[in-house]
Amino acid sequence: MAARRREMRIMISTGHLGTAPSGPESFRAAIDTMPDYLVADGGSSDPGPVYLGNNSVLGQFVEDELELFLVESRKRGIPLIIGSAGDSGSNHGVDETVRQLREIAERHRIPKFRIGWFHSEVPGAAVAARIAGGERLPGLGGFPDLTAEEALAATRIVAVAGVEPFIKLLDDGCDVIVGGRCGDVCFTAAPCIRAGYPAALAYHMGKMIECASLVAEPFMGKEAIIGTISDEDILVTPFHPGQRVTVASAAGHSMYERETPFFEHMLGGVLDMRECRYEEVDGRSTRISGARFIPDDPLTVKLEGARKVGERYMGIAAIRDPQVIRHLDAAIEWSRSASARTFRGVEYELHYHVFGRDGVLKDLEPRRDAVPHEVCIVIEGLAQTDTVAHKLVDFATRMFFLARIPDSKGSSGLAACTKQTMRSSPGFVWNVNHTMTLRDPMELFPTHVAEAGV
Amino acid sequence: MPRLHELAKTIRSKNAGVNQVTFDVIFPTREAYRRVVESGVLGREAVARIYRIPPERISDHVQFDLANAIKFTIYRERPSGSPGDWDTLGCQFYGPLVDVDVP
Repeated sequence: MAARRREMRIMISTGHLGTAPSGPESFRAAIDTMPDYLVADGGSSDPGPVYLGNNSVLGQFVEDELELFLVESRKRGIPLIIGSAGDSGSNHGVDETVRQLREIAERHRIPKFRIGWFHSEVPGAAVAARIAGGERLPGLGGFPDLTAEEALAATRIVAVAGVEPFIKLLDDGCDVIVGGRCGDVCFTAAPCIRAGYPAALAYHMGKMIECASLVAEPFMGKEAIIGTISDEDILVTPFHPGQRVTVASAAGHSMYERETPFFEHMLGGVLDMRECRYEEVDGRSTRISGARFIPDDPLTVKLEGARKVGERYMGIAAIRDPQVIRHLDAAIEWSRSASARTFRGVEYELHYHVFGRDGVLKDLEPRRDAVPHEVCIVIEGLAQTDTVAHKLVDFATRMFFLARIPDSKGSSGLAACTKQTMRSSPGFVWNVNHTMTLRDPMELFPTHVAEAGV
Repeated sequence: MPRLHELAKTIRSKNAGVNQVTFDVIFPTREAYRRVVESGVLGREAVARIYRIPPERISDHVQFDLANAIKFTIYRERPSGSPGDWDTLGCQFYGPLVDVDVP
């Protein structure tokens, strides 16, 4: 007699917690089917290095989403797992998320539950010591090998965790788990692997559902979906009535945000999707099988680090005079050289974003030579102090108003600059994007458990 | 001559890691997909020409038959979100592809 087919169902309604609210109807419809877990991706490296470096929060709906997830999951006894908390998975992001969840639990008088979390930060000095000890840390995406100097210069470094810290916290009996930086597939794969489902299917399901409704068509963000894993395959089902997961949408999603549609690396190994099979079922879901998992030996972990460049301001200059637009490069050069003279000996950076010409694409813009009828120039400037950055950007912006352009007929100001120079976030760059070997998948990810609720 | 916009279902670009942007052009039918593949307008050399980059900046270029998709990935000039980069997510890099003529 064949063994009864067993299944585990995992629900997700957001691919980036807090940027916009989860669609309430599909959330309700999905959670009312009593999934085994509710999961959410709290962030990634996608928003840029500022969020990691500056511990800042991107989403304006984080609190609302945490409230929805905690209240609805606790009401039904469904464990909640959040990965890469606080946009970057920094320790601050994790601790803030735990604090918010505790407050929400008290406010809603949620009965006592166990909350667990893990941190992912790695001190730059620890990374530098490994390099000083002769270890090579190869770069990803075209980065050269990491130097000890660069590791020490990083404002903050996080390691990207695998499934293990989540499994540890589930073993510890946690009802709610807040993860530091982790692979996007791991908060979903962890409970599946812990329950004994094949790792390849578990990771592949993590990949298919990590962005919630983006795996379905037509395009809709923040709608709930459920991934169902069995010992043979996974099934992805949307809960917005207007969406379907099709072979095309699922296969299309498997290549989203990845260099290749065929492989996905995470701490522990590589998911090989070359032999995957997709099949539409029940008019709205797609069943997927055939992924393989190749374990790494030795284990390698990805490190992400951000280094501060300086304080940053932005100014806006708009130009309508065709004679100035015809000599735009001269106008920019005027601002640049005048700044160089005025801020001689000062460490600074200036960047000119010329919207209407090549503001988005820069050197990649094929139509850079087309002459627009008006342009907007955003002047981005950085310096070591707030005062100097402000003065620098105000000056560089003013230099468009005062540009000296050959044969210009205007004598009242050559750029419209009505708005004040604006303070922006400090500037950061990604300076660590590397891999490092590990003996133990838990060694960088300390876990903590506490009681929450009333 | 139709433009890519008329033949494709999806034309998108997005970060693939912090130093690369990946482009997905997905077609609704096998025929449209094959037509664009065979025309060469999204081939490795053509893409390098469109974006005015040396072919070495294209790190990967594949045809993904299962999804009727052409996918290629380029290195950024500087990592995403650095000062001087405006498109932190890489989500508007696909712009110049939309109006590409397809013979």
